[in-house]
Amino acid sequence: MTNRTVTVSIKRYNPETDKKPYWQDFQVELTAETTLLSALEDIKSDQDGSLTFRRSCRHAICGSCAMMVNRANMLVCDLPLEKVLDKNDRVTVEPLPYQPVIRDLVADQSSFWKQYERVKPWLVPPEGEHQREFRMTPEEVKALEHAEMCIMCGACYSSCPIIAGNKEYIGPHALLKAFMRVLDPRDTIPEERLDIVCNTEGAYRCHKVLNCTQACPKGLDPAKAIAVLANLGFRTGKISQERMERLRSLIPADEIPVKAAGD
Amino acid sequence: MTETITHDVIIVGAGLAGSWAAMVASREGVTNIGVLSKVYPLRSHSGAAQGGIAGALNNIRSVDGKLESVPVGESGDDSIESHMFDTIKGSDWLGDQDSIEVMVNDAPGIIYEYERMGCVFSRLEDGRIAQRRFGGHSSPRANYAADWTGHVLLHTIHEQALRHGVRFYSEWQMMELIIEDGVCRGVVAMDILTGELHVMRAKAVMFATGGYGRVYQITSNATANTGDGVAIAYNAGVPLLDMEFVQFHPTGIYKHGILMSEACRGEGGYLLNANGERFMENYAPDKMELAPRDLVSRSEQTEINEGRGIGDDKQGIYLDLRHLGAERIMERLPQVREIAMSFLGVDIIDEPAPIQPTAHYSMGGIPTDVNGQVVIDADNTPLHGFFAAGECAAVSVHGANRLGTNSLLEASVFGRRAGYAIAEFIKGGAKLHPYSGDGVSRQRERLDNFMSKSRQNGNGRGQPEQVAAIAAELKQNMTDNCGIYRTEEKLLIAREKVRELRERFKRVVVMDSSQRFNTELLTAVETEHLLTFSEVIIEGALNRTESRGAHFRTDYPKRNDEQWMKHTLAQNTPEGVALSYKPVHIFWDRYPPQERKY
Ligand SMILES: Cc1cc2nc3c(=O)[nH]c(=O)nc-3n(C[C@H](O)[C@H](O)[C@H](O)COP(=O)(O)OP(=O)(O)OC[C@H]3O[C@@H](n4cnc5c(N)ncnc54)[C@H](O)[C@@H]3O)c2cc1C
Ligand code: FES
Repeated sequence: MTNRTVTVSIKRYNPETDKKPYWQDFQVELTAETTLLSALEDIKSDQDGSLTFRRSCRHAICGSCAMMVNRANMLVCDLPLEKVLDKNDRVTVEPLPYQPVIRDLVADQSSFWKQYERVKPWLVPPEGEHQREFRMTPEEVKALEHAEMCIMCGACYSSCPIIAGNKEYIGPHALLKAFMRVLDPRDTIPEERLDIVCNTEGAYRCHKVLNCTQACPKGLDPAKAIAVLANLGFRTGKISQERMERLRSLIPADEIPVKAAGD
Repeated sequence: MTETITHDVIIVGAGLAGSWAAMVASREGVTNIGVLSKVYPLRSHSGAAQGGIAGALNNIRSVDGKLESVPVGESGDDSIESHMFDTIKGSDWLGDQDSIEVMVNDAPGIIYEYERMGCVFSRLEDGRIAQRRFGGHSSPRANYAADWTGHVLLHTIHEQALRHGVRFYSEWQMMELIIEDGVCRGVVAMDILTGELHVMRAKAVMFATGGYGRVYQITSNATANTGDGVAIAYNAGVPLLDMEFVQFHPTGIYKHGILMSEACRGEGGYLLNANGERFMENYAPDKMELAPRDLVSRSEQTEINEGRGIGDDKQGIYLDLRHLGAERIMERLPQVREIAMSFLGVDIIDEPAPIQPTAHYSMGGIPTDVNGQVVIDADNTPLHGFFAAGECAAVSVHGANRLGTNSLLEASVFGRRAGYAIAEFIKGGAKLHPYSGDGVSRQRERLDNFMSKSRQNGNGRGQPEQVAAIAAELKQNMTDNCGIYRTEEKLLIAREKVRELRERFKRVVVMDSSQRFNTELLTAVETEHLLTFSEVIIEGALNRTESRGAHFRTDYPKRNDEQWMKHTLAQNTPEGVALSYKPVHIFWDRYPPQERKY
């Protein structure tokens, strides 16, 4: 049954004016179309313009709106409000944890982005001009386990107990990216990547708590990716050779051969 | 503390267009580039694109209506010329054919470049990039990555921009464009985190700020798509081109507007009215559901207006995908399926999804040449140091109606070209022109006014107004009176309403008085932009007494080439919007105007 009044309980904090965070309840009208994001928008436009949160795409693809809802991290834009109400018709909303709060539901994701850049998220392709696409098989695409679908929302990062205590840890989001690059047959620096991530600030630090995989709104499996990286770490030295072989066959016969690029 | 920041190049916008330009200019040796984005770069709206990016790669062909891969060594049926003709026809002969030629020629190359940079496309068995059909294209030339094509393209180009050392200012909002004596000198921008304003000086400025769909009630656009760049350029004296052309996409989620990709129809989906009829039979018997968007949206709207809509308010239509089967849906349309489940509670494998037309794409914008150079009149006079590309620009490849998959292509191709042009401009000895103006104080005053106590008390000039209420009334007005079907009568109402709202906007108050991350204040600024260019859309639509592409006048239902095969140019003057016109570039010997039938 929809069309009733429900309570959205929000953790508020403005470091400019508040000594510490506090909870504030808002009443909103629930209809069949209400998402948690649309409820926040309604509160902002009708009740309290100072309520602060991030959002943009409204359909779970830009990664702006990850928050902690009833103590679990998720995207709020495609989340029907009714689904997260408790028996008292109430839901709690907080910013993603383990990071400084900028304001209300906006977390400071600096360390998250720093780690993302640390793993060199870009592909380093072979040098040389090519007329056409590399021939990557559907199986090779599948082997990436849809890691390319990661929207960098931070739900996994802020659910990881290691991140809670140690911001030097690379984190599930960036390790997933590294996994995707190492497995991509077009990449020329898999060994260098393994050097970056296979150490005690990276894949070897993971405690396999699997919170990240549980938190991912896209159904991805960073924990598994981290385990794959950790295993590959024991094989460094052998991977370059295999990659060079594969790289040669990536390019259609009528095109120039490749040489590895430095980066 | 307010400080002046200096770069060789400032690019506003980190979607495909802005990121391409930054990556290329940097790769070409321009080291001092700053890219501003009001959302974190990877959150730019380009990432929301689902269906594909056009390019005649000839990996797939259609044989007796079935798609099969073209054996290596054999040539397919597609060609650059065919892509060109489809785009011209789609544009209803308002697209500049010289620009279109550049875009379709560059298309295969830029898709291969994406692929080489690591973009994860869907693949054929033999490893080539997979392609599907899209509306208005006569061959299957939408290159795709499942139904998250824009997402993988955006991540790929952003990563490569980082690789080439581009500096990003994330969550910075550009507020003003600085032009003095016909020379562009920089921008004024706010660091959203601190609320501080800064002058950012540069030898070259590029806008890549995306579209303006948020001015409509039902839209597929992200909340960031408030047409800031378009409004800010207009306020700085740059004319806008063809703003009255706004595309409505046929398949937005009922009541939400969120997109169900055209790939749904590309893969073979049906549109059904309340009687269960595939009504496209009556409007485009040949192309059916895969007729171009303007035509399909109008057909839906006609069905709705004549009482054959679905849903509690009868404003919906069914999109039926059941016959595709679970396997194909899960492989090719996984995101669409999720979206329908979340927003409609419908599994498209088992049930048809309620949809409705949704404001989707802005054909109009800042006029440029094919190298991103902004041009300010019918003679194509360049504005020194100012570039633009992507949805905020109008190089006019889409004319009166864009074909699906052509805009990821446009943003990429013209972003890349702008990158080369900017690099050449800088390396050719461009100067940092002096600026001693008071842009920061002007913007500070504008913002302070929104928050002023005297306004909150009514200021003796009537009741204070709420931003949200004005924005809501504006969007409703544009939807009702300047939407899919337009008439003089409705457009006059629309004009009056916008005038009223502009007056009321002067009394708008922002209650949030914090400097830090003040999103209420930014919403006020964005709403002011919506009001600014709404007037331009309405004036252009009123004056254009014909129907062409996405602009449909019920009182002038025919295209009128004699009088109207020309671009609208709208200039900001103290008296309001001043319209003039500019010829369309037509290759008369090759692609003369024809009737547009599907
Ligand atoms: C739901 C959806 C699906 C689509 N699917 C397809 C498709 O399948 N195929 C296709 O070809 N096209 C598609 N399109 C269209 C296409 O995605 C866009 O036209 C294209 O991505 C625009 O790219 P852009 O770089 O111009 O702008 P955007 O990607 O919108 O980027 C705009 C940038 O400007 C920044 N910005 C804006 N204002 C300011 C400001 N004031 N200060 C600082 N920064 C600012 C933003 O932060 C952002 O970084 C789709 C569009 C939508 C809405
Ligand atoms: S608003 Fe984009 S993911 Fe939620």
